[in-house]
Amino acid sequence: MQKVIIEPVTRVEGHGKVTIHLDDEGRVKDSFFHIVEFRGFERFIQGHPYWEAPVLVQRLCGICPVSHHIAAAKAIDQLAGLDPKDLSPTATKIRRLLHYGQIFQSHALHFFYLASPDLLFGVDAPVEKRNVVAVALENKELAKKGILMRKFGQEIIRAIAGKRIHGIAAVPGGVHKHLTLEDRDYFLTGKDLPSVDTMIEWMMEVMAFIKDYHGKNAAWLDSFASYPSGHLGLVNATDGSLELYDGRLRAIDADGNRTLDDIRDVDYLQYFAEGVEPWSFLKFPYLRHLGRENGWSRVGPLARLNVCDSIGTPLAQAEFEIYKNYTGGKPNNHTMHFHWARLIEMLHCAELMQSLLHDPDILSDDILRKGERRPEGIGIVEAPRGTLIHHYQADEKGMITRCNLIVSTTHNNEPMNRAVRWVANNILDGQPKLTDTLLNQVEIAIRAYDPCLSCATHAIGQMPLQAVLYDAAGNVLDERLK
Amino acid sequence: MKNPITIAIDGKEVQAEDGERLIQVIRRAGFDVPSLCYYEHIDPPLGTCRVCTVLVNGKPMASCTSKARNGMNITIHDPELNDTRKAMVEMLFAEGNHFCPACEKSGDCDLQGMGYQLGVNASRFPHLFVNRIIDYNPKRVVIEHNRCIRCRRCVDEVLTTDGKRVFSFANRGNDTEVAIDYEQEATLTEEHAMHAMHICPTGAILVRGKSLARPFGDRKYDIGELANGETVPVVFPDVHALKNGDKKVIATVSLAGCFGCHMSMLDLDMGILDLVELVEFNKSPLTDIKEFTKKVDVGIIEGGCCNSENVEVLREFRKKCDILVSIGECAIWGGLPAMRNTVPLRECLEEAYLHSFTSEEDAGIIPNHEDIPKILDKVYACSEVVDIDFFIPGCPPSANHIWKVVKNLLFEQEYSVLFSEFKYD
Repeated sequence: MQKVIIEPVTRVEGHGKVTIHLDDEGRVKDSFFHIVEFRGFERFIQGHPYWEAPVLVQRLCGICPVSHHIAAAKAIDQLAGLDPKDLSPTATKIRRLLHYGQIFQSHALHFFYLASPDLLFGVDAPVEKRNVVAVALENKELAKKGILMRKFGQEIIRAIAGKRIHGIAAVPGGVHKHLTLEDRDYFLTGKDLPSVDTMIEWMMEVMAFIKDYHGKNAAWLDSFASYPSGHLGLVNATDGSLELYDGRLRAIDADGNRTLDDIRDVDYLQYFAEGVEPWSFLKFPYLRHLGRENGWSRVGPLARLNVCDSIGTPLAQAEFEIYKNYTGGKPNNHTMHFHWARLIEMLHCAELMQSLLHDPDILSDDILRKGERRPEGIGIVEAPRGTLIHHYQADEKGMITRCNLIVSTTHNNEPMNRAVRWVANNILDGQPKLTDTLLNQVEIAIRAYDPCLSCATHAIGQMPLQAVLYDAAGNVLDERLK
Repeated sequence: MKNPITIAIDGKEVQAEDGERLIQVIRRAGFDVPSLCYYEHIDPPLGTCRVCTVLVNGKPMASCTSKARNGMNITIHDPELNDTRKAMVEMLFAEGNHFCPACEKSGDCDLQGMGYQLGVNASRFPHLFVNRIIDYNPKRVVIEHNRCIRCRRCVDEVLTTDGKRVFSFANRGNDTEVAIDYEQEATLTEEHAMHAMHICPTGAILVRGKSLARPFGDRKYDIGELANGETVPVVFPDVHALKNGDKKVIATVSLAGCFGCHMSMLDLDMGILDLVELVEFNKSPLTDIKEFTKKVDVGIIEGGCCNSENVEVLREFRKKCDILVSIGECAIWGGLPAMRNTVPLRECLEEAYLHSFTSEEDAGIIPNHEDIPKILDKVYACSEVVDIDFFIPGCPPSANHIWKVVKNLLFEQEYSVLFSEFKYD
């Protein structure tokens, strides 16, 4: 038996590692995607005051702290006796603006700093070229737009939360401060920062680019790492449209049949369980009624666009219809289409930000509501990378007694394992020699999921991979370092 | 003055009243001496923090408890003494669990403000990770004992409408803690409770529902003189990259961090395009280089060490980089992941894998496999594993601060750090 080790695999919640087991004939027997870090949040947050949760828990991640901040905020709202509908319109709109801003910056980060090198230079491009510095040299305009789009999202966060990373926006029952006229106009005038209208304009250019790219590379994009799977996401409670802040949980199987029928998000515990494997610190969520083998679902842009019926903003809806037509209205199981779906969501967020920035409600100072303490709070949002669940219990004195977090990328744990397996079975299988292209393709499959930390560990380049091939006697047959 | 005397302060002659508290003389004469526990109206002064230490005739004494006598020679500014005051504040940070990033008093906290004022970027003392409780029993307040520095202000200052004390010191020496009379506390009005929260120099006393003070930018240490372009008295790096005409090389890594520090580095926005003209990135999440391919001038470390792999990577960085910089609270003392240091590792693992809400019944296992690294018993600061040459605080540190320091290390460019760029949260 031989073991191919790829370490470290980056761009996951923490650090990751891939091992691929070959039998004596060199055929792939099995493959694993190991997550190698463990924090212990669920334990050490016990004993802390529940109102500290959003500020504490957002430090789980430096790329999407706002997702955790907002999910925790919704949970502590409930601990303070308030459901999402009980918050003031202003507080809700400010939180939504914050959320769309961070999804916008996170998607921009992934697309421009990570994916663009592959899309522009192709998978056979040399290692030295596959990073955003090379993109900047070849296409400075695109790089500049990418940087400014991320900056726009970060500035929205800073205006609302006080700083770009790990700010404070949410308090139990509302938000910490309201926006001033000056805060708001900064995003509309286009003077010191490209305006939100420019963001939409640029996004339309990017949509044209991705559709063109899909036209030219259809065969590869439609097959690489494609496999049937379930999909999970939030949808709007009224019309089933794409919903990122507060909605119902819907899941479908690979053919589109509902496996979770718009359940209230606070009922998640009845439907979800998590498995554990000895070889990874990341758990494996699945739908109880379908079991561990079949109950796993993909989350994130691909999944969200599969479960929703429509998108509530006009330009994004038009793009959605083109995207949906591509698979004849059926669920899209093509892993590489994650990138396309991600951009449609980016456009949607830009439109949403535009309409909120023009809404006079966000300037009001009616930002706080009070309620009666409850023992439990659950907050579920759609983070850039997928469904995010925060669940806290606190005693009557305010101390957190228990906590459960199911982070988006956790749902994608099994899917990413399947993606690695697909590459191992279809690309690696039977190959005596490891080439650069081979290793890169494992990365590409994982990268499509945009696992948390993908940018930070991989912003301008590829995942650093080390692949070692041992023969049956344990001698190194081949070793590739990237 | 009834009994006027003359003393010398930093060489200047000053008039005072015989027996007057030195700290009052010093401040009235226009000199500045920092203090944490001092309250003018409490006499005799508390004298618990010792931050106001000055040299009296060459001997270090707390200026709040010392009385002015004729002919005294007072030294306030002396390099060794300045460093000693800094050390005392650093000791206060290491003694308790002062997690600025997660604390609602952050920005309004006097201990933190003192750290900024003195330019403390990292404590030279190992963090104790004491295990103290958070007391939720009182009616209006929550006492966070991890943050208490035993200044005694609350003991003397917090009184009920009947003039009864609410707090007292219990135990002695190192075991001293603040005890609370729950019956008296229950009679406190909201105004009194708020007063208790405000006079506490840290976030140890919190009033339920009122503790998240003010938004970023509006907090005590965000505004006022500190905001008006004042700079922090930082210690500058005493190491610099070799001057050999080659393009400078940087390597970066995130160990047990959240990648917020790396994201903050990218918050340079358009400046990144200029930066890559000046420096080359070697092993880093920002490049495709997985192994060091050359000697590196400056290695930037985010995150502390939580597993065996982190330790290996950190040691490699020490070997291959001339200068190592720890950025962010996680790398400096452990940060948020180090909050598990007061809890046995076994409990953390069991809670996550065996007892969580979504754990499967009867199927409980804890991950353990040859292909995953071992989790360490505690989260360690980088400086506990290898020698670190410089520290940049923050959670995350501001992009400007990071790059100013890096440019100084690489090109000896001078810099100053504004208070708005020097934060622990």
